[in-house]
Amino acid sequence: MILENVFSAFGAVLNFETLALMTVGVTAGLIAGSIPGFTITMAVVLTLPFTFGLSAVDGLATMIGVFVGGLSGGLMSGMLTGIPGTPSSVATTFDGFPLARSGKPGLALGLGVWSSFFGGIISAVLLVTLAPQLARVGLEFGPWDYFSLVLFALTITASLAGENLLKGIIAGILGLLVATIGEDEINGVARFSFGIEDLKQGFAFLPVLVGLFAFSQLLSDVQDSAKARLPLMDAGRAKAVKVEHLTAIKTVLGRWANLVRSALIGVFTGLLPAAGGSISNILAYDQAKKASKTPEDFGKGTADGIIAPEASNNATAGGALITMMALGIPGDVVTAIMLGALLIHNVQPSPSFIGDNPELAYAIFIAFFLAHFIMIAMQAFCLRAFLLVVRIPMYRLAAVILIYCAIGVFALNNVTFDIWTLFVFGILGYVLKTLGFPLAPMILGVVLGHIAELNLSRALAISDDVFLFVTRPWSLFFLIVAAFSLVFPWYQAKRGREKWTLAYIPLLMIAVALPIFLMEGWLRPILAGALLAGGAALLVKRARGGWAVEG
Amino acid sequence: MVALVLLLGCGVFFWATFQIQETNYGTLSSRVWPRLLLGLLTVFSLGLLAQAVARGRDETAKPTGSWLSRYRNALWCYGLFALFLLSLPYLGMLVGGALFVFACLTALGEPGWRRVPLHAAIALVSVGAMWAIFTFALRVFLPEGEWIPRI
Repeated sequence: MILENVFSAFGAVLNFETLALMTVGVTAGLIAGSIPGFTITMAVVLTLPFTFGLSAVDGLATMIGVFVGGLSGGLMSGMLTGIPGTPSSVATTFDGFPLARSGKPGLALGLGVWSSFFGGIISAVLLVTLAPQLARVGLEFGPWDYFSLVLFALTITASLAGENLLKGIIAGILGLLVATIGEDEINGVARFSFGIEDLKQGFAFLPVLVGLFAFSQLLSDVQDSAKARLPLMDAGRAKAVKVEHLTAIKTVLGRWANLVRSALIGVFTGLLPAAGGSISNILAYDQAKKASKTPEDFGKGTADGIIAPEASNNATAGGALITMMALGIPGDVVTAIMLGALLIHNVQPSPSFIGDNPELAYAIFIAFFLAHFIMIAMQAFCLRAFLLVVRIPMYRLAAVILIYCAIGVFALNNVTFDIWTLFVFGILGYVLKTLGFPLAPMILGVVLGHIAELNLSRALAISDDVFLFVTRPWSLFFLIVAAFSLVFPWYQAKRGREKWTLAYIPLLMIAVALPIFLMEGWLRPILAGALLAGGAALLVKRARGGWAVEG
Repeated sequence: MVALVLLLGCGVFFWATFQIQETNYGTLSSRVWPRLLLGLLTVFSLGLLAQAVARGRDETAKPTGSWLSRYRNALWCYGLFALFLLSLPYLGMLVGGALFVFACLTALGEPGWRRVPLHAAIALVSVGAMWAIFTFALRVFLPEGEWIPRI
């Protein structure tokens, strides 16, 4: 069945028009991803209006192209100038830049490009095979479980997004509150319109996200007048180099264990709501260093230090797409915008979506797969374009992009109110960011607000027993991991220095074992037993060690 | 200060929940979910206030003059964008947009007349190209403006 859908999707995507559009998308993503301060999200946002007139397959394939290109673009600036283009390529700089500076920029770029490629391909294969399975699991979810899943997505985003958990939670609630403005989806009643006619319909989803994220980001980029007037990057020392493809392929495949491990770390990180490429590249780098026989070489230009972060950040995209397509829950800001793009094309991801619309769902998967081949082909061209673009000062790009954002959001519904929405949320986003509030929880709150309220209402309509939230296995599972995610910032800060942190992971394993044990089938109770045994063994081991901490 | 503004906002929104129409259908009243969120927001805002009080007075607070110079560029952009939006019904997207980009470039860029022709060219080409793509290729009818003759 999967193979049949895959072949049918290849037929839908493998035509000149779709491939040409994907090539444009990948190129735009590669260039945008390579410019520091110009995020993948912004590139996706700016591309979106151009896809309105396209068919769903063409439009979404173009957007996927931008997404994949953006993830791979960050490595160019990181390797050639030492400044990562995107947060998801920070760790690539640790070894990519030293290797390029040691006279091997072609090899450094080759390793980055091919690690991105293979990491992406591994995650594409997992996307095709895992997304339908996860969607099947999603079909088990009742409204109680969905509500608790949203709660978990928000708490983990709040705990990972910033230094201050309280501010993260407040930002998440603000996002949920923004989603309540306008017509109530359940009863059809207008809320918080304050007598303004346009507000009775509520805010359109994308202008809010573009305002909160892109508009406020641009103004942060031009805050320092002197810096904004300088070229984006000192590209004087960066030259267009010939990528050493063959040597790079041999080196990457020769270190397949690191490649596969890093790709799996990336996919797993992407599956979790809130944890994107910015986290996975550091995690994969750290694991590669720990597993290496020569950890002292890390930071000096070792190939493993490039393979790990680049394979993982591209694989994260596949993981995030799995969750988004199977459950309708975006993993991070980029996938939240991608979800908006899907909605524009009348695609509403949910557990039943893959089963109901296999041709479109698999076309998205195949587009993700093919985008990696296009990325390889376009890298050399984009390297030259990158060297030209980085000579432009930021203030010129910012002024032009601001007006493009306005044109783009107007084109969504052809109403000027959407540009006002962009403006107001642009101010709100900038103010919140300046005051230290992370924007990711707020954006996720805006996206998930309707889902949360709808499922709470459905749950209470079925039964007024609120204990169902803690007696249903999936709901209990999400509530437990939500509670642990709230403690996570303290765990991270005190790990290895305070005794209680030694009990955090074992207790999490034991706690999640209970709801998994209550689930149907034979596999999950076995998994629960393994988790329980593992958690207990860790606790005993640490107790025998006298709860000894480093400090 | 931030916590106080948030608490004030909670108060305003809570008062606004009384304006939400009550229905005799549906299991969850339209007021319940926003009130639940506002309740949570109030609790966490009080937490933020307590955190700020415990931390004490911020001795590093900068004077207003320095604040203005720090956020000068953002204020320029927001001010010009507001003007662009207010003038949109009269000047339309093409003229209003090009004027916004030109004014923005002039305000943020290097001072002096030397850059004016370059900024004007960037504004005309960037907005003109995008306007043409949307109008002729994508068939999106961007606002034309009452004061601008039809093309």
